[in-house]
Amino acid sequence: MALVPVKIEKDGKWLVGKIDLQQDSMNVVEPFKAAIPYKSVIDLEEKKNVLIVTVKGDPPVIYRIASVEKVLQAMKRFIAMSCSAYRLMAYFMSPAVRGGVMVTNATWEKGAIAVLKSTIWFVSQNKQVSVALKEVTSMEITKKEVQKNQVDVLKLDHMENTDVVTSYVLCPLSTLQILINFLKDATKDLEITGEELDPVAAQVGMLIYSGMDSHAIEKMLNIPYKNLDEIYEKLLKLGMAEVTQVRREVQLTPKGVRFITESVKPPTQ
Amino acid sequence: MGRILIVDDTLFMRTLLKNILFSGGHDIVGEAGDGDEAIAKYQELKPDLVTMDVVMPKVNGIEALKGIRAIDPNAKVVMCTAVGQEQMVKLAIKTGAKGYIVKPFQAPKVLEEIKNVLSS
Repeated sequence: MALVPVKIEKDGKWLVGKIDLQQDSMNVVEPFKAAIPYKSVIDLEEKKNVLIVTVKGDPPVIYRIASVEKVLQAMKRFIAMSCSAYRLMAYFMSPAVRGGVMVTNATWEKGAIAVLKSTIWFVSQNKQVSVALKEVTSMEITKKEVQKNQVDVLKLDHMENTDVVTSYVLCPLSTLQILINFLKDATKDLEITGEELDPVAAQVGMLIYSGMDSHAIEKMLNIPYKNLDEIYEKLLKLGMAEVTQVRREVQLTPKGVRFITESVKPPTQ
Repeated sequence: MGRILIVDDTLFMRTLLKNILFSGGHDIVGEAGDGDEAIAKYQELKPDLVTMDVVMPKVNGIEALKGIRAIDPNAKVVMCTAVGQEQMVKLAIKTGAKGYIVKPFQAPKVLEEIKNVLSS
């Protein structure tokens, strides 16, 4: 159908090659030969401009493929529509909200949802959106107005790089329930059970979400760093946060003080 | 960069928005804790933009938006509310809101939305 240029990873090295994209399979023709029937694909992930295709086998074979956007789009569509996955026809809107801001040109796309081992794919003719299951932050069935009717939709909050994004899925309620049950099960590790956050810790969480650093949080909540550090420790223990950087506070030694004092002296004639 | 009035009934959200907007180089000209105060402050300060919480005691954000639009039909008001209040989005946009942000929000996206509304 189409011979497309790609870069494909083999033994840890990226090689220039070609893939023949067919209706029911894609075949690597250069720099090595491999036939990949879409039906044999058990997982499909996307990381930046790289598709990670896992093909069933013992052990499964993983192909990492990079190419231009147009080629990757076609590959994603073919694989997501034919691979081994739980698939349903649905309307989706993704993203509908990004970082708390409504996406004004968001529209409903008619297509399919494919749920794979590690990723959910929203696929239409023009759009392919992947959501890694480990990036799903919350989900619920809620009502949304569609063509002046209140209908049941699945609201899915997930991370996209560092943005928190909301997407919606629209299909019959019974299917939504199957989907949400699957997602709840697949993301049960993210549930917080037992330990609740106290109000100050919850506020700290909200400020981190909004992008504030520790200095800003200390100032805004008027709490000493020691207390903030304890809250950070709790968030880390609960798996709700991760350390991005450790900032140090220092004071000058006598040598440093001497240097600074000398440096501000007026130059001698 | 704009002169901004922040309207929210919680000090915490006002402080958070103030920090975000300040980091984006905006000038926070005033704060209000309810709709009545928002209308009065708008008249007094004539800001370039207002961030308006929807759910507030006494006069809510939608009523305050109406009040501000009565004073200045070209007022730039960005509504700010919690998730799950989509009906409010429609109502606010019908009433003349120029933008909408949903709590919780992320600083870069808020700044982007404010920039878009200010330049509209």
